[in-house]
Formats: sequence, structure tokens, C-alpha cells
Amino acid sequence: MAPNEILELSLNDLSWLIAGRQLSSAEAVTAALTQLERLEGKLNAFITVLGEQARAEATKADEEIRRGNYRGALHGVPVTIKDMFNTKGVRTTGGSKILQDWIPDTDSTLVERLHAGGAIIIGKTNLDEFGHGGTSTLSHFGPVHNPWHLDRIAGSSSGGSAAAVASGIGPISYGTETGSSVRRPASYCGIVGFKPTFGIISRHGSFRGAWSQDHVGLFARAVKDITLGLDLAAGFDPRDPASAHQDAPAYTSQLEANAKKLRVGVLRKFLDGVDPAVRAAFDAAIKVLASEGGEIVDLDVPELSYAAMTSMLTSSAESAGINRRWFRERYHDFVPHVARGLAVGMAITASEYLTAQRARQRIREALRSTYEKVDIIAAPTTARVAPPLSEGVRGNGDDARHASYNQSNLLRFPSMLGLPGCSLPCGINPEGLPIGMQLIGAWFADQKVLNTSAAYQSATDWHTRRPAIASA
Amino acid sequence: MKDQDNLAHRLALLEGVTIAPADLETIAKEIADNLRVVAELEEFAKETPWISLQTQPAGKKA
Repeated sequence: MAPNEILELSLNDLSWLIAGRQLSSAEAVTAALTQLERLEGKLNAFITVLGEQARAEATKADEEIRRGNYRGALHGVPVTIKDMFNTKGVRTTGGSKILQDWIPDTDSTLVERLHAGGAIIIGKTNLDEFGHGGTSTLSHFGPVHNPWHLDRIAGSSSGGSAAAVASGIGPISYGTETGSSVRRPASYCGIVGFKPTFGIISRHGSFRGAWSQDHVGLFARAVKDITLGLDLAAGFDPRDPASAHQDAPAYTSQLEANAKKLRVGVLRKFLDGVDPAVRAAFDAAIKVLASEGGEIVDLDVPELSYAAMTSMLTSSAESAGINRRWFRERYHDFVPHVARGLAVGMAITASEYLTAQRARQRIREALRSTYEKVDIIAAPTTARVAPPLSEGVRGNGDDARHASYNQSNLLRFPSMLGLPGCSLPCGINPEGLPIGMQLIGAWFADQKVLNTSAAYQSATDWHTRRPAIASA
Repeated sequence: MKDQDNLAHRLALLEGVTIAPADLETIAKEIADNLRVVAELEEFAKETPWISLQTQPAGKKA
């Protein structure tokens, strides 16, 4: 099989071919690494590339599979991870100068599970410093470029992961989300980004952005690939205090592309200010869900007007608490915008933080009632397509730390409340940039979100579009 | 507390870190913005009970 054909394969197809020994892990890893080497000078999506190690592990995986010791869907598959996860013996920077040479002596839980499942980690992706940002321009290692248009941001903070998957550098990547850092870059890069319910995937051994909002999430091009990656990563972990007791993950076996009789809520009052092309794509996507048997329900949840403020105050205070020592000792080693953000967080008092938690509780109760009326909330993932890199942190339009901008509220409430959310490609704007729709479910309704997402993908082909750079 | 005093009190929390004047100006502006946000959230959440979660052993039964 030609390398460019390998890069086009979904994780599901790649996995079948490797399991059936019709394609070797060595071939798959080489194809992904070659693509990485070809594009990295343009994308800057990686901080550390594990070429030699990955090739050796691929050879070992092929040998294991040949002997009949097949370990599951990710065995021998090239994957990438955000440089937020500790990797034993491999530097783990968090996108920061402070840890630019730090080599952990243990793996994060995610990495342990990837190794146990035989996945081949080919590289660690670029990000905003310690996950503090929405653009992937706030990395000590320079900005990530969007593969659809190199002068645009990739979104963040998991921008490197999204850019990698969109470019065919591995069929799946693992990132993290505190505010919108999986769904936003997925939307900007035209791929699927899924953030499960808080506690489904262990965060042990990864850097904290804000402990009460941090999630591990996944990027892929198809929903089934997300479930394959989720089955490996999910599960209770006593080392993460937020880890949820849960049944053995079976998201793939329970995946059913079905939106029939599903009540899909749309918060129309929050759609003011959405770019016309994004709005048109979203309206068309809603019609698709209706044609798949979904019932569209107009919703109004006025409490959500306070979601962005509450989320930002919470994460600002928590990130200052987490970085308190480095703030005092290494202030000038932080990326300047991040350092200023930490300073603002340091000045938040305990009673102000608790006020934000009280507000958060009110919003949570409003959502609890809302999910008695609907199964899923649908919204554009972002109000506009990927902004130009030249606009910097202002480009997102919702990055002012306390914006009350409607779209910020829609983007941030799922992470703040720990709800499962999936961003799906749902259009391309006239400039050729991808548009995303997000589907948000109730707590632990992850399967319903994934099944609805699969139903949408089965009726559309937006997820099959690739940036030109991927095949050039 | 007057706004000016309040801001000075906040900036005093950053004591010991050398911050450029231009950065301090940005930080002060954002702190002032936070004060507005907290006032809004206080009003929004005034009828909501305070959170009262304890850390208890996992799997504990009464």
C-alpha cells in the first residue's frame, strides 16, 4: 500500500489491516513519520518527535502480532499525544521554557494505557503553555499553524494535536481541555474532537490547567475512531481524585449511528453574532439531525449568560494556585501573556472564587433541568472559522478573560460543568476553512453524544474533506 | 474600600515579582474587570446555597 493511501485510512481501517497483517505497524508508523517530517516545518505541531523509538516499537508490535499476541485496536497504530502528559524517559515540557528539558521518570496513566494497548507514540504535540490559551500561539516553542491555511491559528490549547490529525500524521491524538481546548481546535482544523464527561479518562500524570475543569479528550477524523481510542483510555483510576467509577469501557461495541426520537435543543438566543457562513452550516446540520429522526427543540437557558465569566474566574484562580511557586520564582520564564494571566489569578480572593463556585452551582442546576427536556444541546462550536495568526490572542473574539460574549458561554459551559461534548465538521466557508458543530450531552450520556455524532457523520461527508497540504 | 485602595491591595499580592509597568497596567485593568465580574456573579448567585462538599473516603457508607 502506498504511503499516501495509508495516511488516508481511518483508525478503524488501519487497525483491521494491522491486525490481519495486511499492513505492518512499521509501514504505518513510517508513513506517519514521513508525513510529519514533510509538514512540520510548516505546521510546528510538535515539540518532541519520537522517530527512532517509534520505529523500534513498531517492529516489536509486528513481531507480537505475528506471534498471535494482539493487544487490541490501537496495537501497532501511530498515535500522537499533547505535550501535557508525562512520558517516562522522554521530555515533557507543557509548552513551557520552565520544563523545556524536564524528563519524567514515570508515565501518565494515559501513556501507561497506550503502551499496554500497544499504541505507538510518534510525537508529543505543541500547545499553549500548560494549556493556558485558546490559540496555540502561547507556546515557548512557537505557534502552531492551521493545516487548512498556514496563516490561521489551529485553535487551542491542543492545537498541535488537531493539526496533526487533520494532516494525516496519525489517525488519532489525545489532548486536554479546560475551557474549549479539544472542541475548538477540532472545529478550526475540520476534524472530530470529543471531550468525555469529567472523570471518564484519568488525568494522573498530566499538567493541571484548572483542576475542576481539566479533561482528557481525543481527536480523530471519524466518530468510530474516537470510540476506539476512548475504549483504551477510559476507566477508573484511583490516582486521579476526580476519576469516576465506571463499567469497563465499551463505547465501540455500543456505537450505533442513531438520532431517532432524540430531542435536540437549540439555544437560538445565543446565536446572535455568529458568522453568517457558520450559522448557515449549523442550520443545515440541524436539518440533517431532524431528517435522521431527531426532534428539534427551541431552548432558553438564561443562566448560561454567566457561564463564560464563571468558567474564566474559576480557571484563572485555580491556575494561579497551581502555578503559585513558579509564579514567584520563574515569572519571566512564562510566556508573557500567560504570566500576566497568572498575575490576575493571584489577585482573586478566596471569597471571590467561592462566589464563582456558587454561580457555577446555579448554572449546573439550570442545565440539570434542561436535560430533562432534551437529550442533546447542539450549537456551532465556534462563532467564526479559524482567525488569522496575526490577530494573536484577540483573534478568537472570546478570549478576553471575562467576555460575556454569547459564543464564549456556549463554548465554555461543557468543560465548566463536566458535560460530554463532541465537535464535528459541518461545513466549509467560502475561504475554504472548516466549520464545526458541537453536540453536548448530559453527565455520563457520552454514548448518546457519540451515537448522535455518528448518525450525523453517516448522513454527511464533511469529515472526509482534507486540507490540501495533507496530500500535496 | 475605595476602588483605588482595592486595586492597590490586589497588586500587593504580587509583591516580590518584578513586573514591567506596561504589564502592570494590563494586569490592573484585568483585575478591575474581575471585580465587575464578581459583582455580577454575586447578584446572579445570591439565592444559591454555598457549596458544602467534604473530602470523604471513596466508597464510604453510612
